[in-house]
Amino acid sequence: MIKINVDMEKCQHYGQCVFEAPEIFKLNDQDKLEYLATADDSERANVQAAADVCPMQAITIVE
Amino acid sequence: MSKVVIVGASMGGLRTAESLRRSGFAGEITLIGAERHPPYNRPPLSKELLANDKDLAAVAFPIKEQELGAEFLLGEVATSLSLADQFVNLASGKSISFDYLVAATGLRSRQISFPNDLRSGRFSLRTYDDAKALRKAVTPGSSVVILGAGFIGLELAATLRKLGCAVDIVAIESTPLAPILGEEFGAEVQRRHEAEGIRFHLQRTVDDLIGEERVEGVRLDDGEIINCSILIEAVGSLPNTEWLEGNELDLTNGVLTDQSLRGMCEDGTSMDELFVVGDIARFPYSHHQLAPRRIEHWNIPIESAKRVGREIAHYSAPGSVEDFVMGEHFNPLPSFWSDQFDMSILSYGEPKLADQVTLLEGDLATEFVFGYRKKGELVGVAGIGMRREVNKLRGEIRL
Repeated sequence: MIKINVDMEKCQHYGQCVFEAPEIFKLNDQDKLEYLATADDSERANVQAAADVCPMQAITIVE
Repeated sequence: MSKVVIVGASMGGLRTAESLRRSGFAGEITLIGAERHPPYNRPPLSKELLANDKDLAAVAFPIKEQELGAEFLLGEVATSLSLADQFVNLASGKSISFDYLVAATGLRSRQISFPNDLRSGRFSLRTYDDAKALRKAVTPGSSVVILGAGFIGLELAATLRKLGCAVDIVAIESTPLAPILGEEFGAEVQRRHEAEGIRFHLQRTVDDLIGEERVEGVRLDDGEIINCSILIEAVGSLPNTEWLEGNELDLTNGVLTDQSLRGMCEDGTSMDELFVVGDIARFPYSHHQLAPRRIEHWNIPIESAKRVGREIAHYSAPGSVEDFVMGEHFNPLPSFWSDQFDMSILSYGEPKLADQVTLLEGDLATEFVFGYRKKGELVGVAGIGMRREVNKLRGEIRL
């Protein structure tokens, strides 16, 4: 399992992560980010890609 | 074991090294960076970092040193390259050999020269040091003139206004952002800036600077004089490619690459040991019959780094077929965003290619989405607010 942390102070809800890891991140009806705080190891590459493309660099994988 | 030298230790360089390791590359990696700082994220420089006077730690990219296993040579400027003999020379006198070279030296701010070419009181924004120098000079009540009404100019205007400065923007275009996002979009952005007290001087250029020791004002081409204590040049950037000269590469506006981001010579051949990452890569379209272009958006270094890391790991793997070319055309979807006052702009594709611009949803006074078409095909989408609507359309863009 991996743990995912999004710094909601930084997050501006651009939703770039949604395209890299759609199983983990989504924008809700108010255009706000929602995400799963834990995920299977198989999602690691996707979540890393999501962290890389986050304009605010708000996503981290907690080891 | 192969050795990869990456010239440029900003986001593109760092992401290339990470991609190499993730793709199984086990050889040596050296990153050479002109700035003395480790890699950091540039977009906040004009916004959060400037507004809150934060330090490098607030924008530095986290690096897993063990995993990355790369050597960083920071504060080292590459001055020349011999592709034939496979080494790069540094200003410090060092000479570094490589099997594969990645050029990721990015851009520098374009500077204008004036008859009265004062230096003191003049700023630009590209690096962390630029942002800190500007912040140090700014006090509430400072009069600021910004040359250029592109994204950097407008973001700086918003941030400095919020810090209590008086801000005048001087720009050659008739509407800010119009060359990028169209007339209507740009006019709305201008209206919102004006509502916050930003003054625009459009279709104007600066003839000369006023002042003895330091900038005290500017004189426009129509004779108008604007007093200021701070002048910021936000008039675009130039690719850092001088160090690549003398290798028969096509260095017209960046470095010409093939569809796999290998550097190309003037005679049209690709160089197997040179790859190009980030804003300096001038790469071909996959769909449109248009000349190769550079793209200065933030996600291009990321996308090109990912590709180049995989590519080099593949070529250098034991037993790999040497003449194998990855078939897939490098075809990233440019994406960019910009925060100015309460506006948050999000865009995909290359709206400036459009021959037809249409308001798709929303209304100009609040939130909206524009679609940009070329010969009927969607080439870009951009909006203020309406995230999900903008994001929904991105899959339809063809470049």
